[in-house]
Amino acid sequence: MTLWLVVAAVLVPAVFLKRFRRWLSSMTGAVWILVVLAVMSLLGVAIGQSLPPDAYTSRYGQVLGSFIYRSGLSEIFTSWYFLLSAAVLAASLVACSFGRLRRLANERGRGRASRVGSLLLHVSMVVILAGGVVTAVFGFRYAAPVYLSAGEEMEVPEGGFTVRVNAASTEFTDEGVVSEYFSDVVVIEDGEEVLSWRIEVNRPLIYNGVGLYQNEMLPSATSVREVLFGIVILTEDGELPLRTIDVPFNEEFEVPGTDISLKVLEFLADFTYDIESGTASLVSLSHRNPAVLVRISEAGSVIDDRWIFADVQTHRSDAGLPCRIFLFSYLPDYERGLTRFELSRQPGTPLLFIGFAAMSLGLCLTFWTRTGRKGAGAPRARSKTGSDPA
Amino acid sequence: MQGGTDMLLFWVAFWCYLAATLGASVYAGTRKDGVRAAVFYVTLLGFASNTGALIMRSVLSGHPPVTNLFEYLSFFAWAIVLGFLLIWRRKGLEILTAFAATIAFAMMVMASMFPSDISRQLIPALQSYWLWIHVSMAILAEAAFAVAFVASLMCLMGDKRGHRRLPDRNLLDSITYRAIGIGFPLFTVGALFAGAVWAQRAWGTPWSWDPKETSSLIVWLVYAIYLHVRRTRKGSIALTSGLSVLGFTLAILTILGSKFLGGLHSYG
Repeated sequence: MTLWLVVAAVLVPAVFLKRFRRWLSSMTGAVWILVVLAVMSLLGVAIGQSLPPDAYTSRYGQVLGSFIYRSGLSEIFTSWYFLLSAAVLAASLVACSFGRLRRLANERGRGRASRVGSLLLHVSMVVILAGGVVTAVFGFRYAAPVYLSAGEEMEVPEGGFTVRVNAASTEFTDEGVVSEYFSDVVVIEDGEEVLSWRIEVNRPLIYNGVGLYQNEMLPSATSVREVLFGIVILTEDGELPLRTIDVPFNEEFEVPGTDISLKVLEFLADFTYDIESGTASLVSLSHRNPAVLVRISEAGSVIDDRWIFADVQTHRSDAGLPCRIFLFSYLPDYERGLTRFELSRQPGTPLLFIGFAAMSLGLCLTFWTRTGRKGAGAPRARSKTGSDPA
Repeated sequence: MQGGTDMLLFWVAFWCYLAATLGASVYAGTRKDGVRAAVFYVTLLGFASNTGALIMRSVLSGHPPVTNLFEYLSFFAWAIVLGFLLIWRRKGLEILTAFAATIAFAMMVMASMFPSDISRQLIPALQSYWLWIHVSMAILAEAAFAVAFVASLMCLMGDKRGHRRLPDRNLLDSITYRAIGIGFPLFTVGALFAGAVWAQRAWGTPWSWDPKETSSLIVWLVYAIYLHVRRTRKGSIALTSGLSVLGFTLAILTILGSKFLGGLHSYG
C-alpha cells in the first residue's frame, strides 16, 4: 500500500509535468495563454487602474467595488495572477523556441528564412519580457514627480549626485501657446560641477543611470504677474458700477477716479489657513484654490490686508471695506515657474531595445521575405505536416 | 487658425466616398462593370482630394497631420483607401474592393465630428521625430487591419458552401491573412516599439499601462491569437474571421478611447 502511494506520488507529478510541458509548447497552450492575457488586460482597461478605493465603490457599488479593490483587479498589471500568466507565457515561448530550433536543425530548403524569423520572433519576445523583469527588480521610479524652481537643488535618490536648477522657463508663441519648457540644470558630484544640461520634453538628463524627465512645467505657486480684479466702489449714495482693473504684483495701484489703492502682497495657488498659528499656506502646487493677499488703502492710510479668493462661492471676505473686490483672474508667473521632473532608472531598457530590434527583424523575415510570404500566405493548414508549426 | 482649402478638399473627399459607397451598393445589386468603373473613378477622386487635404494641412501647420483625432481619422481614411486600391485589380475580389470607400467614409464621418482647427504650435510632448514614425506606422497598420476586417466580414456573411454574390471564402481568408501579415509587423514596430522608445525618452519609462498602451496591447494580442489559431487545423475560417473582426473593432475603440478613457495619450 505504502509502496503504491510512493509510486503514485512520483508518477502522478511526472505525468502531469510532462503533459504540462507538452501543453506549454503546443499551439493550443499558446493561444490560451494569449487569451488569458488579453482578457485580463481588457478587464484592467475597462475597470480603470490605480484609482482610490472609493472611486470603485462609487462606480460599481459597495459589493463589487470593494471586491475589485481587494482582489487586486484595481492593480491588475502587478497582481500575482497577471505576473504568473506572463511567466507562463515566457515558459511557453522558451519551450516552443526549443522545438523550433530542433526542427530548424533538421530542415533544409525553402521556407528557412521564414522559420528563422519565426524563431527570432519568439526568442526576442522572451528577451523583451526579461527586460521588463530586470527593470522591475533592479530599477526604480520615484513615486511622485519632483517640483523645483530656479535656484533650488536636489539630491537625486539612488543617483549619487545633486542637480541644481539654474533656470526653469516656459516659452510661448506670439499667440500665447506653450512652445517649449526647459530647465537648465547643473550636475554636482562630490561637490564639483561636472555637467551642464538643458532638459526639455523629449530630452532628458541621464546621469549615473538615473534619468530626469521633464514633461510639464507649472507656473509659480506663490507669485503672479498681474491680477485682474473686479471692483465695486461703495459710496454714501450707493454702489458704483462694477469695473475691472489690472493690478501688477507687489506694486501700489490707485483705482482711477478714487482715493482707494490696492497692492497685491502675496499669492497662493492652493490656499489653506491654519487657525491655531494664524498663517496661510499652500496645500499643493496646483492652482486649485487661488487667493491673493491685498493691502487696501484709502487716502494714503492702510485700511486692511485681506485675502481675496477666486472662488467667491465659498469665501466672501470684503466686509467692512470701502469697496467690494472680486478676484477674476490672473496672469500666471512662468518666469519663476516650477519644473516637474520624473525620476527613474530603467536598467532593463537596453535589453528591451535589443529585443525590439530582434523582433522587428524576426517580423520582417517571417512575414515579408519571399519564402516567408509563400509559407505564410499559402492556404491554411490542411495536413498535419504541411503547415507551419507555431 | 482655420484652414480653407484643406477643409474644402476634405469635404470633396467626404462626398466622393459617400457617392462611391452608394455606387458600390448599386454594383452589388447589378454587377455591371460600368458601375464598378464609375465607383473606381469616384473613389480615386476622393482619394486624390483626401491626399490634397492632408498635404495642405501639413503645409499649413508645419507638422504631420496626426496630432488630433480629426487629422488622425482623415489620414486613416486615406490609408484605408490606399490599401484597397492596391488590391483593386485582383480577380475575384471585385465586390470587396468596390466597398473600399465605405469604411473610409465611416472614418470621415467620425473625423468630421471632431474639431478641425489647425494648430501651428505642437505641444512640447509631441515635438519629436518619433511622432511621425510612431503615428504614421500605426495608421498604416490599422489600415491593413481594415482591409482584413472587410474581407473577414464578407467571409462571415457568406455561408459554408459559398455565397453566390460574395467572393470565394478561401480567397477572402487568404486576403485577410495577407493584410494582417502586413499590418501585424507594422503595428508591432510602429505602435508598440516606436511608442515604447519614444515613451522612454519623454516620460522616463517605455511602458506605463496607460489606457491607450494597454488597449493597443490587447489589439496586438488578438491578432497574435489570430495568427496562431489560423495555423492550427482547429481554426475554422469562421473563427479566424471573427478574430479579425474583433481585432479591428478593438483597434477602432483604441483610436477613439483616449477621448473617453483619458491617460497620457489624450491630445484631443
